[in-house]
Amino acid sequence: MKAGLTERLHAPHEQRSRRVRQGINAIASRNASALPGLVMLLIVVSCNAFLQPDFFSADSLSSNLQNAAPVILVCMAQAVIVLLGELDLSVGAGISLVNCVLAAVPSLTGWGTAATCVAALAVALAAGVCNGVLVGYFRQSALIATFATGAIWFGGALLLMPQPGGAVPEVLGEWFAMRVGVLPLAAVPVIAAWALWAVLQRHRFGRRLIATGSSADAVFKSGVDTRVVKLLGYVLAWLFVFGAALCISAQTSSGDARLGLPYTLNSVAAVVIGGVSLAGGRGSMIGAICGALVLVLIGNVVYFAGIPSNYQEVFKGAVILLALGCTFISARKPV
Amino acid sequence: MPLLTANGITRRYGGVVALDNVSVELNAGEVLGLLGANGSGKSTLSSILAGDNRADHGTLSLDGVALPPGEPRAARNAGIAIAHQHPGLAPNLPVWENVFLGAEVCRAGRFLNRSAARRRAAELLTSLRAGWDLDMPAGRLNVADQQLVEIAKALALEPRVLIFDEPTAALAAAEVDSLMRVIRSLAARGTAIVFISHRMAEIEALCDRAMVLCNGRYAGELQVQGRLDEARVLAWMGGAAGGAAAAHLHDAAQQSQKRLRTSAANGSGRVALSARGLRAGARLRGVDFDLRQGEILGVAGLQGHGQEELLDALAGYRKLNAGEIALDGAPLTVRSPRHMIDAGVCLVPNDRHRQGLWLDHSVEFNLAQVAVNFQSEPWRLRRQSIRRFVDLSVSRLRIKTADVRQPVRALSGGNQQKVVIGRWLDRQVRVLLLSDPTKGVDVIARKEIYEAIGALTEAGAAAIVYASDTDELLAVCDRLIVMYEGRVVAQLEGPEMNEARVTSALFGRSAA
Repeated sequence: MKAGLTERLHAPHEQRSRRVRQGINAIASRNASALPGLVMLLIVVSCNAFLQPDFFSADSLSSNLQNAAPVILVCMAQAVIVLLGELDLSVGAGISLVNCVLAAVPSLTGWGTAATCVAALAVALAAGVCNGVLVGYFRQSALIATFATGAIWFGGALLLMPQPGGAVPEVLGEWFAMRVGVLPLAAVPVIAAWALWAVLQRHRFGRRLIATGSSADAVFKSGVDTRVVKLLGYVLAWLFVFGAALCISAQTSSGDARLGLPYTLNSVAAVVIGGVSLAGGRGSMIGAICGALVLVLIGNVVYFAGIPSNYQEVFKGAVILLALGCTFISARKPV
Repeated sequence: MPLLTANGITRRYGGVVALDNVSVELNAGEVLGLLGANGSGKSTLSSILAGDNRADHGTLSLDGVALPPGEPRAARNAGIAIAHQHPGLAPNLPVWENVFLGAEVCRAGRFLNRSAARRRAAELLTSLRAGWDLDMPAGRLNVADQQLVEIAKALALEPRVLIFDEPTAALAAAEVDSLMRVIRSLAARGTAIVFISHRMAEIEALCDRAMVLCNGRYAGELQVQGRLDEARVLAWMGGAAGGAAAAHLHDAAQQSQKRLRTSAANGSGRVALSARGLRAGARLRGVDFDLRQGEILGVAGLQGHGQEELLDALAGYRKLNAGEIALDGAPLTVRSPRHMIDAGVCLVPNDRHRQGLWLDHSVEFNLAQVAVNFQSEPWRLRRQSIRRFVDLSVSRLRIKTADVRQPVRALSGGNQQKVVIGRWLDRQVRVLLLSDPTKGVDVIARKEIYEAIGALTEAGAAAIVYASDTDELLAVCDRLIVMYEGRVVAQLEGPEMNEARVTSALFGRSAA
């Protein structure tokens, strides 16, 4: 009787602790691919902190976060698409297009801030639908299709804004500069995007997205319409692209058709540094975010190390290669 | 009224007719065995029934309601599920998620119910084999376990019609038994089942009715009732050649004669390859054996007891942790596959689609790979001699191909396997390693594959064959080693080499 009682008392606790252990193991194994990215991030952060003594001060942290927010968002967008097993080379041009819409529409139509933002969101989602339809329904190679649509987005941005200029609604810039304690308001879209992704990973669609990237054929044979999954994946990614464009526009407060272009390949590099496999299906969002932060902080390190500006790009490239070397070594597992 | 009716199904691939006006009727609670040589249209028929594939002509209906062609989703919703021969799994997702791929267990709002899904997946998988790691990515499972997950995936749908396309080709005996138990209980509950296999014993034990296809045409059908008229089935399967194959497989006298002859010839045979204390990873824990020149040595064992790892290690594909290998008496350190190929140790790998062939390239390209990669003047492509070698191999191995420039994908499984073997004919093979060479291959092609191996051994090579089918090993090998938990537990030869001794050794009870 007594033995039975203690058993009953102990069993749920043991069960719970076992479940917790299982949960930790599952999380660790899911995010194992992010490890090299995380290590890289720690190295870059410690370099940065060494060179810039006030790195951990509130001012410096929040300005870094402000700079990082758009990069993180665009890298998250690219990560969604790479996990889906595809690629998007038009995200940079897309940022430019949204930026030019934000800067040009108020003066052209006299719309208010809200209406302008809605218009810009519509443009971004339309671009996502366009890419998704091309890749999902027309089975075009993502590399070529998005390269082509990227040229179109860039052309559209140039039509709207042949010369840099215009004015993004001022409210955006004011919000962007606001701070709650250390946390700048600029972090809000990043947190929202991360929360959305975390929720989706508990949802059927999020898992089907990963499964499709892992093996589209298997998912199709399991009775899932992979075209819809791909389309929705692109739309989700372009929601993040919109967030990134909003942050960048708020930061610069003017329009420039060339503003977004460098983001495309930076986002691909960040995703790879973060351990997301370009073959699709393998990797984690945490890794992609680490990759984005690495890219942002490398700029800081180069600046504070006093490296002549002409060498900055060389240095940056070398660091990216180093990061890729880390992922390569960690990918070689014993058979 | 039958549950599933397929009427006048015809399917062409290019100019080749894969199925010609085939009709099937399937009743609830019935197990229909589908038999036929490779390339006879079994897989095409089953994929059309499951909606993966679209018929050119013909209609499908379930319970009198017509099904749209070529839509897996519609077929699944109507209650038709299929376990494919080549598992369709998402390699990066964990096992439990793969079991419910496309049919996720959800709460309100389509959020996953992880605990329920894991519990149900564990139940389904354990009914097939005990001891699963549900969080293991499916891509890291071995072929047999992937097949079991594919089967569990079909079971999870609780379908009314369940199609098994060669489910047992990659499975070991114990797993086949539990699968048959599961199928019987499903049939008893009214599920209609289509069961495809090359193993007559399984059809005999499981099926109510057997239907035979030959070259895409309906060849005949018969009631099974615990006994299968093998002669008739084989005659339907391949006409005269089928009869010959039956004679070959069932002429026990001829088998034992062959064995006596070869063992007499090899009694004094030199040792071609000797292995001592081979260890590699968790699966291979100390293997010793000698391989004599000109013999075929069989490696028996339940799935996952180190047989595949042994062959991989000998081929230089898997790193050895410990152990010594001597080739013709000279010690040898295994460095890489290329090094072992140079030494004359060649592997015919287990998974011919993934490891053995470039499926979209021509027969010629595939056959010439070794010759091209190992030629002494790599900057010149010797078209003439390559063409001669290809023609010679095609005729020596009787590879059935209309044109050597045809992609290998278009060949039947047996002929594909002959192409994998054929590319080693270019060089002096001292030891040929074959990992399950007749997996998913019909009876006639099996015989031809073993004839090809026999031709190589008569020319002085030695062969090590691992096959999941023990009967087959008993029929073709001169000697047998039996592996259990990564070790050799028995070496059988001559009259000791019989099913009883092998079976007891398979389960770890040493025969000696």
